[in-house]
Amino acid sequence: MTGAELVLKVLQQHGIQHIFGYPGGAIMPIYDALYDSDVEHFLCRHEQGAAFSAIGYARSTGKVGVCMATSGPGATNLVTGLADAMMDSIPVVAITGQVFSGLIGTDAFQEMDVLGMSLSITKQSFLVQSLDELADILHQAFEVAQSGRPGPVLVDIPKDIQIGAVDFEPYPIAQKQYPLLETNAIAKARDLIGSAQKPLFYIGGGVGMADAIEEMQDLLNATQIPAISTLKALGTVPADYPYNLGLVGMHGNQAANHAVQECDLLICTGARFDDRVTGKLDSFAPNAKIIHLDIDPAEIHKLRQADVSILADFKQLLPELAVTPSISTWQQHAADLKTQYAWRYDFPGETIYAPKLLNLLSQRLPFDHAVSCDVGQHQMWVAQHMLFSSPRNHLSSGGAGTMGFGLPAAIGVQVARPDCTSVVVSGDGSFMMNVQELGTIKRFKLPVKIVLLDNQRLGMVKQWQELFFEERYSETNLSDNPDFVTLAKAFDIPALSINQADQIEDGIDQLINSKGPFLLHVQIDEKENVWPLVPPGKANNDMLEGEL
Amino acid sequence: MTHTIKLEASNRPEVMERILRVVRHRGFSLEEVLMKQCHTTNSTQITLTVSGERPISNLENQLNKLYDVAQLERAQTGASAVAMNA
Repeated sequence: MTGAELVLKVLQQHGIQHIFGYPGGAIMPIYDALYDSDVEHFLCRHEQGAAFSAIGYARSTGKVGVCMATSGPGATNLVTGLADAMMDSIPVVAITGQVFSGLIGTDAFQEMDVLGMSLSITKQSFLVQSLDELADILHQAFEVAQSGRPGPVLVDIPKDIQIGAVDFEPYPIAQKQYPLLETNAIAKARDLIGSAQKPLFYIGGGVGMADAIEEMQDLLNATQIPAISTLKALGTVPADYPYNLGLVGMHGNQAANHAVQECDLLICTGARFDDRVTGKLDSFAPNAKIIHLDIDPAEIHKLRQADVSILADFKQLLPELAVTPSISTWQQHAADLKTQYAWRYDFPGETIYAPKLLNLLSQRLPFDHAVSCDVGQHQMWVAQHMLFSSPRNHLSSGGAGTMGFGLPAAIGVQVARPDCTSVVVSGDGSFMMNVQELGTIKRFKLPVKIVLLDNQRLGMVKQWQELFFEERYSETNLSDNPDFVTLAKAFDIPALSINQADQIEDGIDQLINSKGPFLLHVQIDEKENVWPLVPPGKANNDMLEGEL
Repeated sequence: MTHTIKLEASNRPEVMERILRVVRHRGFSLEEVLMKQCHTTNSTQITLTVSGERPISNLENQLNKLYDVAQLERAQTGASAVAMNA
């Protein structure tokens, strides 16, 4: 068979049925092999869309997402998506075509040093040098993408290797290997948990990535310790857990931010002390001892010294930590904070209050749904006001904060989970960054539901200009946006525009009940900001709060 | 503060770029470097002397997690890559 055929054979061996991509000169042999293959290819309208769709596929299932592009500009267009996957530890394999081996380094047409470009945005990358190593590299790519802390892997394949003849040999898929459980460290952690007066779980995306949500929930049930969540962890702690204090950090719930400042033991579980979580780092959880649980040794002591650290697979580790401390006063305090700082939706105006709309939407969506969002104010409102039953149902560009993420990610979700109601919540700024993917929705008749919160502004930047730049609104006015309803209709997507509070119910009904895709254009007041907000350089209990 | 780190890495052509990128990005300056390919073991032996204000353990962890790095050990603080291999 050809090298190109071998690529598809290896994909199938790893259980890949769907890939996202865009053809071009240097990857034509693989696209030619695809013509007769059982692997289903989803043509996106920009390589960045393909990368984000692969991420959506991976995040919503836990499987590897695969994207493909040609050399040069095709590969450069993947870069932002791979960087996004790197920051959020998402298993993605990117395959790029490269010019003929002999032309590499001659500045040939569409020749770029993709391997060099990939170094900082992938977990590992390969330029295939010979046909002999092609299969082995592809298998390594899948292993590396999924092992330990997951991440993106790029394989750059010169055209001569794609067209060369090679034999296919079955390859044993390696079993996952984990560090042995460190019994001494576990004993120390159990002692700390057992003797703490104010312990707090600080839960990150690592729990979901380790497929250990059930184990985490069992541990919460056993310990009854209050919990706060990062953006990526939302959906891990059950909404009805009495001590679920919600999102922590810059736009976190006040209950979470106060609790973390008061706790005497912080059990960091698959999180990484990101600056959007900690605020001023040396004021974060100032009185707490730290237990740091992770699979990645490089996260331990990176930003905060741990008193006890354990490197382990969470599925094995978490059941070992079921200690029940006597903390009734602290539990009561956590429950009180939760009540005191519960989100409020008694907005008095006649215009549309986005948090209220999102909360109502969250209640109305069918059980099997996933929400992908973009980046900015609407992203924080989604995190605050929508409820999730699993982190696989909340796709948000966390570490990289990439505008343009939402629409293609929701396409990936819909391909991976055809029966799921795949919703995008976007803003008018972000939506335009990958708006071409409406073409992908049209082509594959994907029933993606789009909620476009339009304040005619780059809202989050505008909010910061208002608060920290003396209301100097530099380049954040988007009042010349296109007519989004007409735009949607150009892609055969029915759409409705609403701007009054009494239109919310009908808007949500039409969105959810539409058989195919739908765009709900929601005009909101540009004066609405995201609250609370921990200003840059401040401690987490130093929050600004708006008025309802 | 100067530190010397000895690495055993795969002998893929980009391995030095990969390692030096991490050194720079994680806040260290390269003072000295020695690199030698070992064809019998199909590996690359690298000794780096780096300086920086951040904890060296952070850099070691970041280098250690590179797929291409098989082994890493820290030489005595203040040692020089060139002197060690002279």
